[in-house]
Amino acid sequence: MNRKLFLASTMSSALVACSPIGTALNNNAEFHKLLSAPQGLDHAIIGTRGLAREYRDADVMRDFPLTGLPTPTDSSYAELLASHFAGYALIVDGAVANPQKFSLDRLAKMQRVAQITRHDCVEGWSAVGKWAGVRLRDVLAVVRPLPTARFAIFHCMDRDDQGTPYYESLDMHEAMHPQALLATSLNDAPLTADHGAPVRLKVPTQLGYKSAKWVARIEFAATFASLYGGKGGYWEDQGYEWYAGI
Amino acid sequence: MKTMGKDIYRYAVATRLAHWLWVLAFAVLVSTGLQIFMAAPYLDASDQSNPARRVLSIQSPSDGVGTTTVLGHTFVTTGWLGWTDDGMGGRSARAFPGWITIPAYQDLADGRRWHLFFAWALVIGWFTWLISSAIKGNLQEMVLRPRDVPKLWPMQAYYLRLRKEPPPHGTYNPLQKAAYTSVAFLLFPLVILTGLTLSPGIDASFGWLTWLFGGRQFARLWHFVAMGGLIGFCVVHTFQVATQGIVQQMRSMITGNYRLRDHEGVGP
Repeated sequence: MNRKLFLASTMSSALVACSPIGTALNNNAEFHKLLSAPQGLDHAIIGTRGLAREYRDADVMRDFPLTGLPTPTDSSYAELLASHFAGYALIVDGAVANPQKFSLDRLAKMQRVAQITRHDCVEGWSAVGKWAGVRLRDVLAVVRPLPTARFAIFHCMDRDDQGTPYYESLDMHEAMHPQALLATSLNDAPLTADHGAPVRLKVPTQLGYKSAKWVARIEFAATFASLYGGKGGYWEDQGYEWYAGI
Repeated sequence: MKTMGKDIYRYAVATRLAHWLWVLAFAVLVSTGLQIFMAAPYLDASDQSNPARRVLSIQSPSDGVGTTTVLGHTFVTTGWLGWTDDGMGGRSARAFPGWITIPAYQDLADGRRWHLFFAWALVIGWFTWLISSAIKGNLQEMVLRPRDVPKLWPMQAYYLRLRKEPPPHGTYNPLQKAAYTSVAFLLFPLVILTGLTLSPGIDASFGWLTWLFGGRQFARLWHFVAMGGLIGFCVVHTFQVATQGIVQQMRSMITGNYRLRDHEGVGP
Protein backbone atom coordinates (compact mmCIF):
# COMPACT_ATOMS: atom_id res chain seq x y z
CA MET A 1 0.00 0.00 0.00
CA ASN A 2 2.87 2.34 0.80
CA ARG A 3 4.26 1.73 -2.61
CA LYS A 4 0.98 2.82 -4.23
CA LEU A 5 0.89 5.90 -2.08
CA PHE A 6 4.47 6.65 -3.08
CA LEU A 7 3.61 6.13 -6.72
CA ALA A 8 0.49 8.29 -6.52
CA SER A 9 2.39 11.12 -4.88
CA THR A 10 5.28 10.85 -7.35
CA MET A 11 2.89 10.92 -10.29
CA SER A 12 0.87 13.81 -9.00
CA SER A 13 3.98 15.83 -8.23
CA ALA A 14 5.26 15.08 -11.75
CA LEU A 15 1.94 16.39 -13.11
CA VAL A 16 1.99 19.46 -10.92
CA ALA A 17 5.61 20.12 -11.97
CA CYS A 18 4.58 20.30 -15.66
CA SER A 19 3.12 23.78 -15.46
CA PRO A 20 5.96 25.53 -13.60
CA ILE A 21 8.63 23.84 -15.74
CA GLY A 22 6.68 24.70 -18.87
CA THR A 23 6.20 28.28 -17.74
CA ALA A 24 9.92 28.66 -17.03
CA LEU A 25 10.81 27.19 -20.44
CA ASN A 26 8.22 29.42 -22.07
CA ASN A 27 10.15 32.46 -20.87
CA ASN A 28 13.40 31.16 -22.35
CA ALA A 29 14.05 32.88 -25.70
CA GLU A 30 15.96 29.96 -27.23
CA PHE A 31 13.29 27.46 -26.29
CA HIS A 32 10.62 29.80 -27.62
CA LYS A 33 12.44 29.87 -30.95
CA LEU A 34 12.56 26.08 -30.99
CA LEU A 35 8.81 25.91 -30.41
CA SER A 36 8.26 28.08 -33.51
CA ALA A 37 10.35 25.74 -35.65
CA PRO A 38 7.45 23.74 -37.18
CA GLN A 39 5.61 26.85 -38.40
CA GLY A 40 7.37 26.89 -41.78
CA LEU A 41 6.62 23.20 -42.16
CA ASP A 42 2.95 23.72 -41.29
CA HIS A 43 2.76 26.45 -43.93
CA ALA A 44 4.51 24.32 -46.55
CA ILE A 45 2.35 21.25 -45.91
CA ILE A 46 -1.07 22.83 -45.36
CA GLY A 47 -0.72 26.07 -47.30
CA THR A 48 -3.71 27.59 -49.03
CA ARG A 49 -4.82 25.00 -51.53
CA GLY A 50 -8.54 24.50 -51.43
CA LEU A 51 -11.56 26.73 -51.22
CA ALA A 52 -13.29 27.46 -47.93
CA ARG A 53 -16.76 25.97 -47.76
CA GLU A 54 -19.53 28.32 -48.92
CA TYR A 55 -22.80 28.23 -46.99
CA ARG A 56 -26.45 29.06 -47.69
CA ASP A 57 -28.20 32.29 -46.70
CA ALA A 58 -30.07 30.43 -43.96
CA ASP A 59 -26.78 29.55 -42.23
CA VAL A 60 -25.77 33.16 -41.65
CA MET A 61 -25.32 34.31 -38.07
CA ARG A 62 -27.40 37.50 -38.02
CA ASP A 63 -25.75 39.00 -34.97
CA PHE A 64 -22.20 38.55 -36.22
CA PRO A 65 -19.68 38.77 -33.34
CA LEU A 66 -17.42 41.80 -33.12
CA THR A 67 -13.77 40.93 -33.44
CA GLY A 68 -10.39 42.53 -33.10
CA LEU A 69 -9.43 45.90 -31.72
CA PRO A 70 -12.05 48.49 -30.70
CA THR A 71 -13.69 50.60 -33.40
CA PRO A 72 -11.53 53.67 -34.16
CA THR A 73 -12.63 56.76 -32.25
CA ASP A 74 -10.15 59.31 -33.61
CA SER A 75 -11.38 62.48 -35.32
CA SER A 76 -10.32 61.48 -38.83
CA TYR A 77 -12.32 58.25 -38.64
CA ALA A 78 -15.25 60.15 -37.14
CA GLU A 79 -15.14 62.56 -40.11
CA LEU A 80 -15.05 59.70 -42.61
CA LEU A 81 -17.98 58.08 -40.87
CA ALA A 82 -19.97 61.34 -40.78
CA SER A 83 -19.43 61.83 -44.52
CA HIS A 84 -20.44 58.21 -45.24
CA PHE A 85 -16.87 57.66 -46.36
CA ALA A 86 -17.15 60.20 -49.21
CA GLY A 87 -13.55 61.21 -48.49
CA TYR A 88 -12.29 57.64 -48.27
CA ALA A 89 -9.98 56.16 -50.84
CA LEU A 90 -8.17 52.86 -50.45
CA ILE A 91 -4.54 53.51 -51.30
CA VAL A 92 -2.80 50.66 -53.14
CA ASP A 93 0.87 51.33 -53.66
CA GLY A 94 4.41 50.12 -53.01
CA ALA A 95 6.01 47.65 -55.39
CA VAL A 96 3.36 48.01 -58.10
CA ALA A 97 3.48 49.20 -61.70
CA ASN A 98 0.37 51.32 -61.34
CA PRO A 99 -0.33 52.75 -57.84
CA GLN A 100 -3.98 53.64 -57.45
CA LYS A 101 -6.61 55.00 -55.11
CA PHE A 102 -9.98 53.30 -54.89
CA SER A 103 -12.91 55.33 -53.66
CA LEU A 104 -16.01 53.43 -52.57
CA ASP A 105 -17.68 54.51 -55.84
CA ARG A 106 -14.84 53.07 -57.84
CA LEU A 107 -14.93 49.80 -55.87
CA ALA A 108 -18.70 49.65 -56.40
CA LYS A 109 -18.16 49.78 -60.19
CA MET A 110 -15.86 46.76 -60.13
CA GLN A 111 -17.14 43.21 -60.32
CA ARG A 112 -18.95 42.48 -57.10
CA VAL A 113 -18.85 39.04 -55.51
CA ALA A 114 -20.49 37.62 -52.43
CA GLN A 115 -19.38 34.71 -50.28
CA ILE A 116 -21.06 33.06 -47.31
CA THR A 117 -18.16 31.65 -45.36
CA ARG A 118 -17.28 30.69 -41.83
CA HIS A 119 -15.08 32.97 -39.76
CA ASP A 120 -12.90 30.87 -37.45
CA CYS A 121 -11.45 32.92 -34.64
CA VAL A 122 -8.10 31.92 -33.15
CA GLU A 123 -9.93 31.83 -29.80
CA GLY A 124 -11.87 28.81 -31.02
CA TRP A 125 -15.35 30.01 -31.96
CA SER A 126 -16.85 30.12 -35.46
CA ALA A 127 -19.52 32.28 -37.12
CA VAL A 128 -20.93 32.23 -40.65
CA GLY A 129 -21.31 35.58 -42.38
CA LYS A 130 -22.23 36.78 -45.84
CA TRP A 131 -19.53 39.04 -47.18
CA ALA A 132 -19.77 41.03 -50.40
CA GLY A 133 -17.21 43.22 -52.11
CA VAL A 134 -14.38 43.06 -54.60
CA ARG A 135 -11.91 40.26 -55.05
CA LEU A 136 -8.45 41.24 -53.92
CA ARG A 137 -7.04 39.71 -57.14
CA ASP A 138 -9.14 42.15 -59.20
CA VAL A 139 -7.45 45.04 -57.42
CA LEU A 140 -4.09 43.36 -58.03
CA ALA A 141 -4.92 43.17 -61.73
CA VAL A 142 -5.33 46.96 -61.80
CA VAL A 143 -2.20 47.91 -59.85
CA ARG A 144 0.01 45.14 -61.29
CA PRO A 145 2.46 44.20 -58.51
CA LEU A 146 6.11 44.13 -59.59
CA PRO A 147 8.10 40.88 -59.48
CA THR A 148 9.82 42.20 -56.35
CA ALA A 149 6.49 42.27 -54.47
CA ARG A 150 6.23 39.24 -52.19
CA PHE A 151 3.66 40.46 -49.72
CA ALA A 152 0.49 42.54 -49.64
CA ILE A 153 0.53 44.51 -46.39
CA PHE A 154 -2.76 45.86 -45.09
CA HIS A 155 -2.50 49.06 -43.08
CA CYS A 156 -5.56 49.68 -40.95
CA MET A 157 -7.20 52.56 -39.12
CA ASP A 158 -7.67 50.80 -35.78
CA ARG A 159 -5.13 51.15 -32.98
CA ASP A 160 -4.72 49.43 -29.63
CA ASP A 161 -4.63 51.31 -26.32
CA GLN A 162 -0.87 51.83 -26.76
CA GLY A 163 -1.48 53.58 -30.08
CA THR A 164 -0.04 50.69 -32.13
CA PRO A 165 -1.91 50.37 -35.43
CA TYR A 166 -3.37 47.13 -36.71
CA TYR A 167 -1.83 45.65 -39.82
CA GLU A 168 -1.75 42.31 -41.58
CA SER A 169 -0.02 40.69 -44.52
CA LEU A 170 -0.62 37.99 -47.11
CA ASP A 171 1.85 36.46 -49.51
CA MET A 172 1.10 36.83 -53.23
CA HIS A 173 -0.33 33.32 -53.50
CA GLU A 174 -2.80 34.05 -50.71
CA ALA A 175 -3.59 37.50 -52.11
CA MET A 176 -4.52 35.89 -55.45
CA HIS A 177 -6.83 33.34 -53.79
CA PRO A 178 -10.31 33.62 -55.33
CA GLN A 179 -11.92 33.95 -51.90
CA ALA A 180 -9.62 36.72 -50.62
CA LEU A 181 -12.12 39.54 -50.55
CA LEU A 182 -12.14 43.26 -49.89
CA ALA A 183 -15.55 43.29 -48.26
CA THR A 184 -17.78 46.33 -48.10
CA SER A 185 -20.89 44.58 -46.86
CA LEU A 186 -21.83 42.02 -44.21
CA ASN A 187 -25.10 40.08 -44.22
CA ASP A 188 -26.59 42.16 -47.07
CA ALA A 189 -25.99 45.51 -45.37
CA PRO A 190 -23.12 47.95 -45.82
CA LEU A 191 -20.37 47.30 -43.26
CA THR A 192 -21.06 49.16 -40.05
CA ALA A 193 -18.31 51.05 -38.26
CA ASP A 194 -18.01 48.22 -35.71
CA HIS A 195 -17.52 45.62 -38.43
CA GLY A 196 -14.68 47.48 -40.15
CA ALA A 197 -16.31 50.05 -42.44
CA PRO A 198 -15.75 51.03 -45.11
CA VAL A 199 -13.51 48.15 -46.30
CA ARG A 200 -12.28 45.07 -44.52
CA LEU A 201 -10.32 42.08 -45.70
CA LYS A 202 -11.95 38.65 -45.59
CA VAL A 203 -9.70 35.60 -45.85
CA PRO A 204 -11.85 32.54 -45.05
CA THR A 205 -8.97 30.09 -45.50
CA GLN A 206 -7.14 31.47 -42.47
CA LEU A 207 -7.94 32.34 -38.88
CA GLY A 208 -9.95 35.49 -38.22
CA TYR A 209 -7.06 37.78 -37.33
CA LYS A 210 -5.91 37.75 -40.99
CA SER A 211 -9.20 39.38 -41.96
CA ALA A 212 -8.10 42.92 -41.10
CA LYS A 213 -10.82 45.52 -40.54
CA TRP A 214 -10.80 49.25 -41.40
CA VAL A 215 -8.28 48.85 -44.23
CA ALA A 216 -6.80 52.20 -45.34
CA ARG A 217 -3.90 51.13 -47.51
CA ILE A 218 -2.50 48.06 -49.22
CA GLU A 219 1.22 48.20 -49.67
CA PHE A 220 3.11 45.72 -51.80
CA ALA A 221 6.63 45.00 -50.62
CA ALA A 222 9.45 42.48 -50.71
CA THR A 223 9.45 42.16 -46.92
CA PHE A 224 7.60 43.26 -43.80
CA ALA A 225 10.61 42.86 -41.52
CA SER A 226 11.04 46.61 -40.93
CA LEU A 227 7.38 47.23 -40.07
CA TYR A 228 6.35 47.54 -36.41
CA GLY A 229 7.33 44.28 -34.65
CA GLY A 230 8.60 42.80 -37.92
CA LYS A 231 6.39 39.70 -37.82
CA GLY A 232 3.95 40.77 -40.54
CA GLY A 233 0.87 41.56 -38.47
CA TYR A 234 -0.46 43.05 -35.27
CA TRP A 235 -1.21 39.67 -33.66
CA GLU A 236 1.86 38.09 -35.20
CA ASP A 237 3.89 40.71 -33.32
CA GLN A 238 2.22 39.42 -30.14
CA GLY A 239 3.35 35.86 -30.82
CA TYR A 240 0.64 34.44 -33.09
CA GLU A 241 1.64 32.53 -36.23
CA TRP A 242 2.07 34.50 -39.44
CA TYR A 243 0.61 31.54 -41.34
CA ALA A 244 -2.86 31.52 -39.84
CA GLY A 245 -4.15 28.54 -41.81
CA ILE A 246 -3.64 26.41 -38.70
CA MET B 1 4.22 -23.24 -21.84
CA LYS B 2 5.92 -22.73 -18.52
CA THR B 3 7.72 -19.47 -18.90
CA MET B 4 7.37 -17.80 -15.52
CA GLY B 5 10.42 -16.05 -14.16
CA LYS B 6 12.07 -15.94 -17.53
CA ASP B 7 13.54 -12.65 -18.72
CA ILE B 8 12.50 -11.87 -22.25
CA TYR B 9 13.29 -8.95 -24.49
CA ARG B 10 9.84 -7.51 -24.98
CA TYR B 11 9.96 -3.79 -25.76
CA ALA B 12 11.74 -2.68 -28.90
CA VAL B 13 13.71 0.57 -28.89
CA ALA B 14 10.97 2.27 -30.89
CA THR B 15 8.32 1.21 -28.36
CA ARG B 16 10.38 2.48 -25.44
CA LEU B 17 11.29 5.76 -27.11
CA ALA B 18 7.70 6.24 -28.23
CA HIS B 19 6.44 5.65 -24.69
CA TRP B 20 8.65 8.28 -23.11
CA LEU B 21 7.94 10.65 -25.99
CA TRP B 22 4.21 10.14 -25.45
CA VAL B 23 4.52 10.78 -21.72
CA LEU B 24 6.16 14.12 -22.47
CA ALA B 25 4.07 15.08 -25.51
CA PHE B 26 0.76 14.08 -23.98
CA ALA B 27 1.41 15.96 -20.72
CA VAL B 28 2.32 19.07 -22.73
CA LEU B 29 -0.57 18.69 -25.17
CA VAL B 30 -3.13 18.40 -22.37
CA SER B 31 -1.80 21.36 -20.40
CA THR B 32 -1.46 23.55 -23.51
CA GLY B 33 -4.77 22.31 -24.89
CA LEU B 34 -6.49 23.46 -21.72
CA GLN B 35 -4.63 26.77 -22.11
CA ILE B 36 -6.02 27.16 -25.65
CA PHE B 37 -9.50 26.10 -24.55
CA MET B 38 -9.61 28.94 -22.01
CA ALA B 39 -9.93 31.49 -24.85
CA ALA B 40 -13.37 30.07 -25.72
CA PRO B 41 -14.32 27.80 -22.80
CA TYR B 42 -17.32 26.08 -24.32
CA LEU B 43 -18.05 23.13 -26.61
CA ASP B 44 -20.91 23.07 -29.10
CA ALA B 45 -22.27 20.07 -30.99
CA SER B 46 -22.52 22.16 -34.18
CA ASP B 47 -20.55 23.61 -37.10
CA GLN B 48 -20.54 27.30 -36.20
CA SER B 49 -20.78 28.32 -32.55
CA ASN B 50 -24.31 27.88 -31.28
CA PRO B 51 -25.31 28.33 -27.62
CA ALA B 52 -28.46 26.27 -28.28
CA ARG B 53 -26.25 23.23 -28.90
CA ARG B 54 -23.82 23.85 -26.08
CA VAL B 55 -22.64 20.68 -24.39
CA LEU B 56 -20.20 22.17 -21.93
CA SER B 57 -19.26 25.65 -20.81
CA ILE B 58 -17.18 27.08 -18.02
CA GLN B 59 -17.83 30.63 -16.90
CA SER B 60 -17.59 33.14 -14.13
CA PRO B 61 -21.04 34.70 -13.63
CA SER B 62 -19.67 37.17 -11.09
CA ASP B 63 -16.36 37.99 -9.40
CA GLY B 64 -15.28 35.21 -7.09
CA VAL B 65 -17.65 32.61 -8.55
CA GLY B 66 -16.91 29.93 -11.12
CA THR B 67 -19.54 27.67 -12.64
CA THR B 68 -19.57 24.79 -15.08
CA THR B 69 -22.58 23.94 -17.20
CA VAL B 70 -22.93 20.42 -18.58
CA LEU B 71 -25.91 19.80 -20.88
CA GLY B 72 -27.88 22.62 -19.27
CA HIS B 73 -27.06 21.67 -15.67
CA THR B 74 -24.96 24.26 -13.86
CA PHE B 75 -22.62 23.40 -11.01
CA VAL B 76 -20.65 25.77 -8.81
CA THR B 77 -16.97 24.97 -9.38
CA THR B 78 -15.31 27.99 -7.75
CA GLY B 79 -11.61 27.40 -7.17
CA TRP B 80 -11.44 24.59 -9.73
CA LEU B 81 -13.17 25.78 -12.89
CA GLY B 82 -14.35 29.23 -13.94
CA TRP B 83 -12.85 31.22 -11.07
CA THR B 84 -9.49 29.88 -10.15
CA ASP B 85 -5.71 30.22 -9.73
CA ASP B 86 -4.49 32.64 -12.43
CA GLY B 87 -0.92 31.34 -12.40
CA MET B 88 0.36 34.66 -11.08
CA GLY B 89 -0.38 34.25 -7.40
CA GLY B 90 -3.97 35.44 -7.52
CA ARG B 91 -7.35 34.24 -8.64
CA SER B 92 -9.40 35.39 -11.61
CA ALA B 93 -12.06 34.44 -14.11
CA ARG B 94 -10.49 31.65 -16.11
CA ALA B 95 -11.66 28.18 -17.01
CA PHE B 96 -8.79 26.07 -15.68
CA PRO B 97 -6.39 26.62 -12.79
CA GLY B 98 -2.87 27.85 -13.58
CA TRP B 99 -1.20 24.81 -12.04
CA ILE B 100 -2.56 22.65 -14.85
CA THR B 101 -1.82 24.90 -17.87
CA ILE B 102 1.32 25.80 -19.81
CA PRO B 103 2.13 28.61 -19.44
CA ALA B 104 0.58 29.00 -15.98
CA TYR B 105 -0.71 32.50 -16.83
CA GLN B 106 -3.23 32.85 -19.64
CA ASP B 107 -1.53 33.17 -23.03
CA LEU B 108 -3.28 31.82 -26.10
CA ALA B 109 -0.42 32.54 -28.52
CA ASP B 110 2.15 30.63 -26.48
CA GLY B 111 -0.29 27.84 -25.70
CA ARG B 112 -0.81 27.36 -29.43
CA ARG B 113 2.91 27.46 -30.14
CA TRP B 114 3.58 24.66 -27.63
CA HIS B 115 0.57 22.68 -28.74
CA LEU B 116 1.42 22.80 -32.45
CA PHE B 117 5.02 21.79 -31.71
CA PHE B 118 4.18 18.81 -29.50
CA ALA B 119 1.37 17.73 -31.82
CA TRP B 120 4.15 16.95 -34.30
CA ALA B 121 5.99 14.98 -31.61
CA LEU B 122 2.88 12.93 -30.86
CA VAL B 123 2.13 12.23 -34.52
CA ILE B 124 5.72 11.33 -35.39
CA GLY B 125 5.92 9.11 -32.29
CA TRP B 126 2.70 7.33 -33.16
CA PHE B 127 3.69 6.82 -36.79
CA THR B 128 7.19 5.57 -36.00
CA TRP B 129 5.89 3.21 -33.35
CA LEU B 130 3.13 1.93 -35.63
CA ILE B 131 5.48 1.16 -38.51
CA SER B 132 8.29 -0.29 -36.42
CA SER B 133 6.02 -2.48 -34.31
CA ALA B 134 4.27 -3.73 -37.43
CA ILE B 135 7.66 -4.72 -38.86
CA LYS B 136 8.85 -6.28 -35.59
CA GLY B 137 5.60 -8.12 -35.05
CA ASN B 138 4.57 -6.55 -31.72
CA LEU B 139 1.59 -4.99 -33.39
CA GLN B 140 0.27 -8.39 -34.44
CA GLU B 141 0.54 -9.58 -30.80
CA MET B 142 -1.34 -6.53 -29.62
CA VAL B 143 -4.24 -6.19 -32.02
CA LEU B 144 -7.60 -7.47 -30.81
CA ARG B 145 -8.81 -10.27 -33.05
CA PRO B 146 -12.31 -11.81 -33.31
CA ARG B 147 -11.15 -14.89 -31.40
CA ASP B 148 -10.13 -12.68 -28.45
CA VAL B 149 -13.62 -11.28 -28.08
CA PRO B 150 -15.13 -14.29 -26.18
CA LYS B 151 -12.22 -14.00 -23.71
CA LEU B 152 -12.98 -10.38 -22.84
CA TRP B 153 -15.56 -11.16 -20.17
CA PRO B 154 -13.59 -14.02 -18.52
CA MET B 155 -10.64 -11.64 -18.27
CA GLN B 156 -12.82 -8.94 -16.72
CA ALA B 157 -14.29 -11.56 -14.36
CA TYR B 158 -10.76 -12.46 -13.29
CA TYR B 159 -10.04 -8.81 -12.53
CA LEU B 160 -13.27 -8.61 -10.54
CA ARG B 161 -12.20 -11.71 -8.63
CA LEU B 162 -15.20 -13.64 -9.94
CA ARG B 163 -12.85 -16.13 -11.54
CA LYS B 164 -9.68 -17.67 -10.18
CA GLU B 165 -7.71 -17.96 -13.39
CA PRO B 166 -7.47 -15.60 -16.32
CA PRO B 167 -8.19 -17.14 -19.72
CA PRO B 168 -4.96 -18.34 -21.37
CA HIS B 169 -3.52 -15.68 -23.60
CA GLY B 170 -0.39 -14.62 -25.43
CA THR B 171 1.80 -11.62 -24.77
CA TYR B 172 -1.17 -9.42 -24.00
CA ASN B 173 -4.42 -10.37 -22.34
CA PRO B 174 -7.69 -9.76 -24.20
CA LEU B 175 -8.55 -6.60 -22.23
CA GLN B 176 -5.09 -5.18 -22.85
CA LYS B 177 -5.52 -5.92 -26.54
CA ALA B 178 -8.89 -4.16 -26.56
CA ALA B 179 -7.45 -1.13 -24.78
CA TYR B 180 -4.30 -0.90 -26.92
CA THR B 181 -6.21 -1.45 -30.14
CA SER B 182 -8.73 1.28 -29.35
CA VAL B 183 -6.00 3.72 -28.31
CA ALA B 184 -3.73 3.06 -31.29
CA PHE B 185 -6.43 2.81 -33.94
CA LEU B 186 -9.31 4.88 -32.59
CA LEU B 187 -8.29 7.52 -30.04
CA PHE B 188 -4.96 8.47 -31.64
CA PRO B 189 -6.41 8.91 -35.13
CA LEU B 190 -9.43 10.71 -33.65
CA VAL B 191 -7.38 13.19 -31.66
CA ILE B 192 -5.06 13.82 -34.63
CA LEU B 193 -7.78 14.17 -37.27
CA THR B 194 -10.06 16.35 -35.14
CA GLY B 195 -7.06 18.55 -34.34
CA LEU B 196 -6.25 18.89 -38.04
CA THR B 197 -9.88 19.71 -38.79
CA LEU B 198 -9.60 22.81 -36.62
CA SER B 199 -7.06 24.25 -39.07
CA PRO B 200 -8.88 26.48 -41.59
CA GLY B 201 -6.28 25.53 -44.22
CA ILE B 202 -6.95 21.79 -43.75
CA ASP B 203 -10.67 22.53 -43.69
CA ALA B 204 -10.39 24.27 -47.07
CA SER B 205 -8.49 21.29 -48.53
CA PHE B 206 -10.34 18.43 -46.81
CA GLY B 207 -13.80 19.79 -46.06
CA TRP B 208 -15.23 16.26 -45.86
CA LEU B 209 -13.23 15.71 -42.68
CA THR B 210 -15.04 18.59 -41.01
CA TRP B 211 -18.33 17.23 -42.32
CA LEU B 212 -17.47 13.78 -40.96
CA PHE B 213 -17.11 15.17 -37.43
CA GLY B 214 -20.36 17.15 -37.67
CA GLY B 215 -18.80 20.58 -38.24
CA ARG B 216 -15.96 22.63 -36.86
CA GLN B 217 -17.24 23.18 -33.32
CA PHE B 218 -18.27 19.55 -33.19
CA ALA B 219 -14.72 18.58 -34.18
CA ARG B 220 -13.51 20.69 -31.26
CA LEU B 221 -15.86 18.71 -29.03
CA TRP B 222 -14.55 15.38 -30.43
CA HIS B 223 -10.99 16.60 -29.89
CA PHE B 224 -11.89 17.11 -26.25
CA VAL B 225 -13.63 13.73 -26.02
CA ALA B 226 -10.58 12.01 -27.51
CA MET B 227 -8.39 13.79 -24.96
CA GLY B 228 -10.69 12.53 -22.19
CA GLY B 229 -10.44 8.99 -23.55
CA LEU B 230 -6.66 9.19 -23.70
CA ILE B 231 -6.43 10.59 -20.17
CA GLY B 232 -8.68 7.77 -18.99
CA PHE B 233 -6.46 5.23 -20.72
CA CYS B 234 -3.31 6.78 -19.22
CA VAL B 235 -4.75 6.64 -15.70
CA VAL B 236 -5.83 3.00 -15.99
CA HIS B 237 -2.65 2.01 -17.84
CA THR B 238 -0.40 3.63 -15.24
CA PHE B 239 -2.44 2.12 -12.39
CA GLN B 240 -2.11 -1.34 -13.91
CA VAL B 241 1.59 -0.90 -14.51
CA ALA B 242 1.87 0.11 -10.86
CA THR B 243 -0.02 -2.93 -9.58
CA GLN B 244 2.13 -5.27 -11.69
CA GLY B 245 5.30 -4.18 -9.93
CA ILE B 246 6.26 -0.65 -10.71
CA VAL B 247 10.04 -1.17 -10.52
CA GLN B 248 9.97 -4.22 -12.77
CA GLN B 249 7.71 -2.46 -15.28
CA MET B 250 9.72 0.74 -15.35
CA ARG B 251 12.88 -1.31 -15.82
CA SER B 252 11.35 -3.11 -18.78
CA MET B 253 10.24 0.16 -20.39
CA ILE B 254 13.78 1.48 -20.07
CA THR B 255 15.88 -1.61 -20.90
CA GLY B 256 13.31 -3.59 -22.88
CA ASN B 257 13.71 -6.75 -20.74
CA TYR B 258 10.56 -8.06 -19.13
CA ARG B 259 10.19 -10.84 -16.59
CA LEU B 260 7.27 -13.10 -17.49
CA ARG B 261 4.68 -13.83 -14.80
CA ASP B 262 2.20 -16.63 -14.39
CA HIS B 263 -0.47 -16.97 -17.12
CA GLU B 264 1.67 -14.92 -19.45
CA GLY B 265 2.90 -16.26 -22.71
CA VAL B 266 4.52 -15.00 -25.86
CA GLY B 267 2.75 -14.41 -29.18
CA PRO B 268 -0.60 -13.06 -30.33
